Amino acid sequence: MKRLLTVLAGALIATIAPLAAAQQQGVTPDTITLGAYGPITGPAAYIGLAGRDGMNLAIKEINAAGGINGRKIAVVFEDDAHSPTRALAAVKKLVEQDKVFAIMSVAGSNATVGTIDYLRDKGAVMYVSIASAPPVTWPFARNLFRGGTTESARYGELYAEYLATNAQNKRIAIMHGREEYPRNEAEATIAKLKNWFNIEPVARAEFNINDKDFTSQLITAQKANPDVIAFFGNPAEAAIAMRQARELGLKQPFFVGSNMVDPSLITAARNNAEGVTGFSLIPYLPGSNAPEMKQWEANWRKEYPNAPAGRPNNFDLLAYGDMHVLAEGMRRAGKDLTTDSLIKGLEGIQNYRIGPVATPRTFSNKHHIGNLTLVPMQVKGGEWQPVAWTSKRESDILSRYQ
Amino acid sequence: MTVTLAFQLAIAGISVGSIYALVALAIVIPFKASGVLNFGQGEMVTAGAYIALVLTTLALPYPVVVLLVVLVGGLGGMLIERALIRPIIRAPEFTVVIATFAIGLLIKYAIQLRFGDSPAALDGPFGMDPLMFAGLRFNPTSVWIFVAMLLVTLAVMAFFKYARLGKAMRAVSINAEAARLMGIRVDSVWRWAWAISTAIGAFAGLLVAPVIGVNPEIGTLILRGLVAAVIGGFTSVPGAIVGGLAVGLIETFSGVLVSSTFKNLVPFIILMLLLVFRPYGLFGVADAKRV
Amino acid sequence: MSRQSLLAVFALVLLSLLGLAVGNYTTYLLNLAMIAVIAAVGLNLLTGNSGQISLCHSSFMAIGAYVSSLLGARYGLPFWASIPIAAAVAALIGGLLGFPARRLHGIYLALATLGFLQIVQIVIEEFADVTGGVRGLSVPKPVWFSALEIAPYHLYLIVAATAVFAVWTATNILASSYGREMNAVRLSPHAAQALGVAVARVKLAAFALSAAYAGVAGGLMAMVVGFIDPIEFGVGAALRQITYIVVGGMGSVAGSVIGAAVLSGLPEVLRPVREYSDLIYTLILLGFLLFMPNGLVVVWDHLRRAAWRAIDRARAR
Repeated sequence: MKRLLTVLAGALIATIAPLAAAQQQGVTPDTITLGAYGPITGPAAYIGLAGRDGMNLAIKEINAAGGINGRKIAVVFEDDAHSPTRALAAVKKLVEQDKVFAIMSVAGSNATVGTIDYLRDKGAVMYVSIASAPPVTWPFARNLFRGGTTESARYGELYAEYLATNAQNKRIAIMHGREEYPRNEAEATIAKLKNWFNIEPVARAEFNINDKDFTSQLITAQKANPDVIAFFGNPAEAAIAMRQARELGLKQPFFVGSNMVDPSLITAARNNAEGVTGFSLIPYLPGSNAPEMKQWEANWRKEYPNAPAGRPNNFDLLAYGDMHVLAEGMRRAGKDLTTDSLIKGLEGIQNYRIGPVATPRTFSNKHHIGNLTLVPMQVKGGEWQPVAWTSKRESDILSRYQ
Repeated sequence: MTVTLAFQLAIAGISVGSIYALVALAIVIPFKASGVLNFGQGEMVTAGAYIALVLTTLALPYPVVVLLVVLVGGLGGMLIERALIRPIIRAPEFTVVIATFAIGLLIKYAIQLRFGDSPAALDGPFGMDPLMFAGLRFNPTSVWIFVAMLLVTLAVMAFFKYARLGKAMRAVSINAEAARLMGIRVDSVWRWAWAISTAIGAFAGLLVAPVIGVNPEIGTLILRGLVAAVIGGFTSVPGAIVGGLAVGLIETFSGVLVSSTFKNLVPFIILMLLLVFRPYGLFGVADAKRV
Repeated sequence: MSRQSLLAVFALVLLSLLGLAVGNYTTYLLNLAMIAVIAAVGLNLLTGNSGQISLCHSSFMAIGAYVSSLLGARYGLPFWASIPIAAAVAALIGGLLGFPARRLHGIYLALATLGFLQIVQIVIEEFADVTGGVRGLSVPKPVWFSALEIAPYHLYLIVAATAVFAVWTATNILASSYGREMNAVRLSPHAAQALGVAVARVKLAAFALSAAYAGVAGGLMAMVVGFIDPIEFGVGAALRQITYIVVGGMGSVAGSVIGAAVLSGLPEVLRPVREYSDLIYTLILLGFLLFMPNGLVVVWDHLRRAAWRAIDRARAR
């Protein structure tokens, strides 16, 4: 009996003691421990592997320059295999076991949605670089931030305007994947086409991630005689769809979602990619001749000499730029680094970017949508080239947050 | 549906069906010879595609690539059979089924680790511009896939009928003990059956890569190949071919006529119906084991 | 009280104390391990004891998880109603699968179960309005009833109690005449038939029973994790459960417990080499299949017998 009481007493103390030492977790006098998650296995590994590498490159640069207010950054990375359940498990582990200070998400939308409720509860800061899923920024949560990827609603605004002004007969066919991101892009586009331009898509077809055959969806589109086919999926899917479209005799041009505005689409689709249009999240695509990009790529290759073909891709760049933004937020928070001071630090950021290879970020205490800029591009001569087109409409999105 | 569309779909269906037929063939051959169902066959197809990818960077002419893919595939199969299958060939069926599954997964994970998950592209030997004939578009690669499949099938059928090793394989598949008593080296026959099947699988990977791209998920083809093998009855070579083409056509047409949801379900519905009502397929021979 | 029941109570007390001594994240991991045990126990009854290959065990977990989560989300049913209902649904579907499957064996049965798994996956993905599809389903917070939330430690106790109960029932089933029939069907269906065992009925019941276990495990998993998506219940998960029983020991409840407990902790151990964790898992499976087909339970039995021998010798003095 006495032994049992001792054990129970010990157990009680063990559970209470940590509460007594309540300081900011993840921050010590010389180290900031960040958590990060993304898909490094599974169908979206091309996102997570690149996101992780881009993020790590930025961290290396930051640490080499002395760290943040005297502290170096350490990061713990977890795989989510593009599954929301695993992403949730990863975040739980990062917060509760690894006791990280803040979380950087380089995961896709599909996985990120699994973590939102938990993080809203816990209050730890999560900075989302790549996922565009709406729940990150709406309803407003003071600890959640979105960086490089813009809102699905913003995609909808720009895509709808571009498609409406360029489609002669206003006949637009839409094909999209079923998981979070392509579905959101498609639905946002459809919503804005209707609300702003009174256009309904003449055809809408869905497919599953990494489907290998799009014949039935393409035939549905073909029957509707569209001017353009808007395709929301991933580069591997697009390559097959575009090839099959040509085989079926479809001559319409393709418009693709922003994750496909990337050299990997051209690698996968070869000649069929010629003439494809889309919007890019980064000012220069990897492989472009701009001197800033060449410089950045040279640095990247020094760090990752054995990377497979198709890297670096735009996720390397997004995560790289966003890690620097998160670092800037931590810098602004000052020596007394806590979740609250980080939030204030991030909210003070206006038009900040690490260099010309990134787009500028702006946050405020009313909204945490870092980027609303997209660059229209087209594949010409086997390369993505910018297109001379600018939007003539004001974005609706920030008005929700006033 | 116009006649043109129907023909166009039929071409697509036959093309994809030819791949299923090759996978089914690769499954049926070792099953006939040794009673082992290679659940890892899908990964052999993936391996073939990646071998082709690597070889293409060496700028070798296409026939050489074909030869090398087939050789490497066959050798790989021999190694697997010797090292991993032979020890468990007398183990309960469960062990064999799971072991072949596991071997396939090992190959897939190894490929993923080495090559990453980024999609890569491989060119077909005849380019991708459609040929026009009688108002229909023929993708030259799809035509080549069908022709190649026919060639392989004919070769295999001739092999079983005329070659000594082929006849030995037939004997072993009917009764291994009797064959052994007749002086046939059964172990050697099994090894060759595996080698041929993995070689065919790898070849299928080389054929299909220009169409669906090169990525580690190619192995999921095996599900369709299994359905095709069941349709044909596991022991019939022409049955496997008919089964593969049937699955390809049914899939393609149902996708357009019904819905893409249905198209995904169709092969498995066929599978379940067949397993319940005719597990020995449309061509196979029943195996007296009813309990 | 029988020895089994005594052991069950003892295990429950031990687990309760363990739960008090560790932090929230460890309790979460323990929950996942115990859920794996429940699933493994069910699968072992079907495959290890009754000799029926099943590649779709994870599909029954999916049915349990989705049905119980949807009952909770749409009708507000608390777990103590939604999980038993979900398990019953899973058992029913298991029986429906077992009915045509009873005449199949070996690779044909493996194929049928594989086909069933694919069908369940596709149904979950395609009817996304109901199931959330590949974007997953958020599971409502576990409650005792209406708004009374369950504390993490109590959730742990629920899972522990269910796991102990699952092990206890499985042990009793195996000790019963039905258990003997199951083993007879595995060893020689013909002989069993000749001796008057209703082989087809035994197989069907085995399918339904194992599906019920999986359904409970699925419902608990949804509750513990808070989010479910179809990837969690695919071929990878099914193979993982098979790995548990192969490594632990087929046909033995202790084997299921050992295999599931040891291997579900493995991903944590493998974190430093996490990119290789899939590979390592598969190598372990293959290794055991080739070299240690009787599983770790053999080691456990040795230890147990050695312990009893030592106790006997001590008593004899």
